[in-house]
Amino acid sequence: MKSMGQKSVFYGVIVILSLIVPWLLPAYQTQLAFLWVMVVFALTWDVVGGQMGYNSFGNIVFFGIGMYVTAVIQRNMHFDIEEYVHVAGRVETLTPVQYLEGLFLGMGAGVVVAVVIAAGLGACILAMGMRGQYFGICTLGLGVAAGELANGWEYIGAGSGLVTPVFPDQLGQRGAFFYYIFFILAVIAFLTLRYLYAGRFGLAINAIRDDEDKAEAMGIHTTRYKIIAWCISAFFLSLVGGGAGHLIGFIDPTEVAFAGATFGVWMILMAILGGKGTLWGPVIGAVIFHITQELFWTYLFGWQRVALGALIVAIVVFFPMGIMGWMRERWPERFGHRVEEREAFSASKGGG
Amino acid sequence: MTKKQSYLFTLIVIIAAISLVFAGPSWAKVEGDTIIFGAAVSFTGKYSTNGKHTKNGYDLVVKRVNEMGGVKVGDKTYKIDIKYYDDESTPARAGQLADRLIKQDEIKFILGPYGSGPTKGIAPITEKYKIPMVEGNGASRSLFNKGYRYIFAVLSTSEQYLAESINLLAEKFKEDGRDPKSAKVAIAVENDPFSMDIRAGVVDDAKRWGMKVVIDDKLPKELTDMTATLTKVKALRPDALIVSGHSKGAALAVRQTAQMKVDVPMLAITHCEAADVVGKFGGDANYTLCATQWAPTMTYKDEWFGFAGDYAEAFEKEYGYVPPYQAAESSAAVLVYVDALQRAGNFDTEKVRDAIAATNLQTFYGWVKFDETGKNIAKPMVLRQIQKGKYVPVAPRKFAAGEVIFPKPKWKDR
Repeated sequence: MKSMGQKSVFYGVIVILSLIVPWLLPAYQTQLAFLWVMVVFALTWDVVGGQMGYNSFGNIVFFGIGMYVTAVIQRNMHFDIEEYVHVAGRVETLTPVQYLEGLFLGMGAGVVVAVVIAAGLGACILAMGMRGQYFGICTLGLGVAAGELANGWEYIGAGSGLVTPVFPDQLGQRGAFFYYIFFILAVIAFLTLRYLYAGRFGLAINAIRDDEDKAEAMGIHTTRYKIIAWCISAFFLSLVGGGAGHLIGFIDPTEVAFAGATFGVWMILMAILGGKGTLWGPVIGAVIFHITQELFWTYLFGWQRVALGALIVAIVVFFPMGIMGWMRERWPERFGHRVEEREAFSASKGGG
Repeated sequence: MTKKQSYLFTLIVIIAAISLVFAGPSWAKVEGDTIIFGAAVSFTGKYSTNGKHTKNGYDLVVKRVNEMGGVKVGDKTYKIDIKYYDDESTPARAGQLADRLIKQDEIKFILGPYGSGPTKGIAPITEKYKIPMVEGNGASRSLFNKGYRYIFAVLSTSEQYLAESINLLAEKFKEDGRDPKSAKVAIAVENDPFSMDIRAGVVDDAKRWGMKVVIDDKLPKELTDMTATLTKVKALRPDALIVSGHSKGAALAVRQTAQMKVDVPMLAITHCEAADVVGKFGGDANYTLCATQWAPTMTYKDEWFGFAGDYAEAFEKEYGYVPPYQAAESSAAVLVYVDALQRAGNFDTEKVRDAIAATNLQTFYGWVKFDETGKNIAKPMVLRQIQKGKYVPVAPRKFAAGEVIFPKPKWKDR
């Protein structure tokens, strides 16, 4: 099939480009690594906020949890806690094996903790039937509360934050290492979501977005789907958080881990910019947003936030449906929603 | 076929964007006859006031050194310059910008940001790339227990800031024939790396004297109100109230103790000068004890500025206000680089790093000599009391120009 062939060429180009780009632009590795973090941010936010229509302002919680769990496990495995928290003596650097052990075990544990918490919170908030702006405000509170809790908890460094170990030299380039970790995570997240959206899960959460009461009347277990959707967000966000904590090197409770005012808002913005409720929208949004932001930082020194604010206003005014939404409206025959074979098939298979 | 165009569009956007980033200007460590330092400083966000002091401190040295001919490295004399970014007062951004300065702008010498938080964000990066950072505004002691080799701080670490006030309190108690053990201390600090260290230093000293800490409050980072703490102070009547929260905390402590007429024999804070408490609150600021890294009345001198007083004069002429110590310590950081580069005689980062480590230099700001962790161990903190709108050094004894007024007169008598 021609379209299949073109599709694979397209995906192939993106993958190859992504794989070689850190070597083409070695000086930009760290920023490119953050690009994939942004992509995961937008993709995971869109599961709940876009596809399901539940505007969550609290997804940053899972990012922070992943970051803290990973860093704490890394610390507890290799250091004397007293020494690390209460500043005394020197802390030696880790061997590559220790570093990787701590990082990956930590990320694994972070996922478990984050998903359990997402399920627990979901069971409390979503099962209570909280919707619309009430859900939004509630999740906003979650983010703030998580930051304050971390701010007061001595065991995880409280207001002084946590420092992750220095990246061992033997593992090669730090930027490239994290670039590939985040790239792989973003690809897995994208493919997982693509698979899920194409099937029953996607239809169910879309139904919740369009009319939750009707969806429920049709026999969809809306609460279950909502909680699952939130857990999927938490799953990928916590993984990315674990890596990001190590990439940034210093975890401040409210400004790095539970940074609602920056990362927390950006993930929403990126999804909206690209077009929420679409698969590619968040990816496009994240890429454009991240690059614009980096450019503003370099060229509009001191005014970058003002410019960013103006950009956000412009986006909301001129592209209320996001870039993908705009393209769909402009060229419906090219970008409009089409019922593809697989989608139709799974729709007909799952009745209720 | 269905989404061919959208894919193509994405691809074009990605490529265009990458090429845009790539087209950015490239700064080398030495361009022609100019040595370029890199700094991510808070121009926006909660540290923006102090970020400005930091930048002014750096810029004044750049100007002065260039006017006086420049820095002699090897056989050649170089001008100096600084490439700035805005870290927005967050550690996450500071770290990313350090990465950018080092990798994209190819800067080999980093000057510190303002504040312990951003400094903590940068230290792992400079450490990783083995690029020296001389900083004058990251005082948290947790910066110096990680075994970092490339960070050097010209300032006294934060646990020393207000510890002296506890010793002063004990001294006064002894003079009055009271047992220092009976003294009660109240602490209210912002929940951030810098202030938490201040608290640690105060708690340690209070413990040493056997004093009782009756209030130990952590204030939120969005520091706008401390009436809850002050109400407790009114009820528990401690002998000293210690407050730390950068400039905002200083202004808040002075303003609200006056508004609520909180009578406490000793009020000790940080950042008096940076917050300009005298200018803002006039007589209400009197009798406040202020920790300072440096004061224009000190008698240190160097070849670039002369005495501390001369520096203060030059600074005021340039920027229109008396330099707070945040500016002075920033200037000192650049002077350390200048001295180290001259001694190293080349631009090899390892050699420069070793030269910095071997620094033994008198600047207008005080002596600079680093221990193996990179802290400056040659310069003490000074405690000044605001008396009739003037800052009078009162401790330690060596620097004292006046006697401390203790206890503070009650509000009804003022």
